[in-house]
Amino acid sequence: MIELKNVYKSYGSGESKTEALKGVDVTVDDGEYVVILGASGSGKSTLLNVTSGLETPTSGGVFYDGEDISAFKDEELTAFRRRNVGFVFQQYYLLPDMTAEKNVRMGADLADNKDYGQIIAAVGLENKKKKYPAQLSGGEQQRVSIARALAKKPRILFLDEPTGALDEATGRQVLDYLIKLKRELGFTMVAVTHNENIAATADRIIRMNSGVIAEIKSNPAPKSAYEIGW
Amino acid sequence: MLINVKSLLKLFGVSIVMCCAAFVCTLFLSYNMDIAGIKDSLSSDAAVTLYNALITTGKVTAAVAGGCLVITSAVLLLFYVKNYIDSHGRDLGILKALGCSNMKTALRFWVFGLSVLAGCAAGFAAAYLYLPAFYKLQNAEKLFPDIAVKFHFSLFLCLVILPSAVFSLLAIFYAWYKLKKPPLELLKNAHEIKNKRNKQSDKERSFLSELRSNTLRGKKSAVFFIAFSAFCFSAMTQMSFSMKKLASAQMAFIMITIGLVLAFVTLFLSLSSVVKEHAKTVALLEAFGYTPKERSKAVLGAYRPVSYIGFAVGTLYQYGLLKIMMSLVYADIQNIASYGFDFVALAIFLPLFVAVYELMMFAYSLKIKKTSLKKIMTE
Repeated sequence: MIELKNVYKSYGSGESKTEALKGVDVTVDDGEYVVILGASGSGKSTLLNVTSGLETPTSGGVFYDGEDISAFKDEELTAFRRRNVGFVFQQYYLLPDMTAEKNVRMGADLADNKDYGQIIAAVGLENKKKKYPAQLSGGEQQRVSIARALAKKPRILFLDEPTGALDEATGRQVLDYLIKLKRELGFTMVAVTHNENIAATADRIIRMNSGVIAEIKSNPAPKSAYEIGW
Repeated sequence: MLINVKSLLKLFGVSIVMCCAAFVCTLFLSYNMDIAGIKDSLSSDAAVTLYNALITTGKVTAAVAGGCLVITSAVLLLFYVKNYIDSHGRDLGILKALGCSNMKTALRFWVFGLSVLAGCAAGFAAAYLYLPAFYKLQNAEKLFPDIAVKFHFSLFLCLVILPSAVFSLLAIFYAWYKLKKPPLELLKNAHEIKNKRNKQSDKERSFLSELRSNTLRGKKSAVFFIAFSAFCFSAMTQMSFSMKKLASAQMAFIMITIGLVLAFVTLFLSLSSVVKEHAKTVALLEAFGYTPKERSKAVLGAYRPVSYIGFAVGTLYQYGLLKIMMSLVYADIQNIASYGFDFVALAIFLPLFVAVYELMMFAYSLKIKKTSLKKIMTE
């Protein structure tokens, strides 16, 4: 379980100080799928970064099964991310000189996962694993990025606008893969998006506004990627 | 303006190398030109032999040292132009899309020649300040009458104006060649796919070892410069050590200074460029949980064998060069110590090289460790 207790995060100092998070309290259960919604500048990406250990909060605590990762040193945070966390970014960030398969190995090697071929097949890229990112479409690149994140067998998958750079059809397809894989592998999924429709696929929706949680809403009947509007 | 002063400042490496080239060439060529006036007045055989040896030494040194330095500068300049076009692909693509011709855009690259002008002018001026002392040094045995330092406009033209003009043209034509792409390709900075495959299959090679070899394959210019910096360090330090025995301490000092400046400038620039280019990869590796050691090993570790090979080649090169110099230039001169491979120099400079190189690698590893994770998040 992930618990955020009274988390503050600010950037800069003096007059240029910006409060990105202002006392956030939230809990994410194991295996849950949470969507963080909010407009640009609402603090949703900062919340994702702080929760995932990419950034440390200015004050407050981020607890994983009772252990406060905000007190971790750099090396400990790196080890924590290595063991527990997977990332999917809006811009994919694949290594351009490596094939899809090698990009997936970036995650697989960290978990000593020899069966990473299965995850490539699971995202439907078995036939394209020898292709370079430049030879793949946007949707295919994002699927490689998902496979890369899942190949390290993370407990929690963090997604920053995973469909933000994709058209509707491809976005739905990528989202569908994610939901199916989550159901199959049982990891916790925390996604940031500004697309209100995507929230309908999640178990719980956290709405951010000006650095605070404006609303937390449970969704008893999550929809599939093809049932939502876009 | 597309290319600003800040862009030019990044070319200080070219300026420093050209400064060294102009300094060495001005010293020896000016001396050769001034000493020519006393040739007919030499009466003793010893003086004539020394005269011939000095003239040949001057020509060989100017050609070898100057030539090497000029070639290095040219490669550095091309490397900068390529990097500039790669990193400003969007601006250049927009210009091209708006109808600006390749040549019109390329002509703006003439300003890169200013870095050569600055370096050459500094080297030329520094050489003229040092020339009186150098003339005395060359005539330490007092076999010649005293020679006055004269200003040679032809030297100024050949060592300052001409290189600046040639390097400006080189920058223009290389930029023109590199701009010959469709505007969209420049805008997207489309990634070239390298189809060269490794002998080892993808399955066998781990991600980190693949990344290490990709780092080398993808940045051939850095491979060249890191090997070159090790080569310079090795060749110039060991040669200067031997020169101290064969020629003079001052000659050795000039050589070791040039060698060290060249070695550190190229190593510094290459490593900075490697770290900068891989910042995104390093940040991504960090996000995924790769340790600082794994990250720096993947990016910098690949260059370690390259630098040691550079050192070995430099050692052989300086030995060969001195052997040839001794047999060609000093063959007729008596009382010159015989030259053999200098194991003492190797014993001193190899550990020194390892220590300095590893120290620099360590400093850059710290830089890699500090690469911000937010870098990839905010782009």
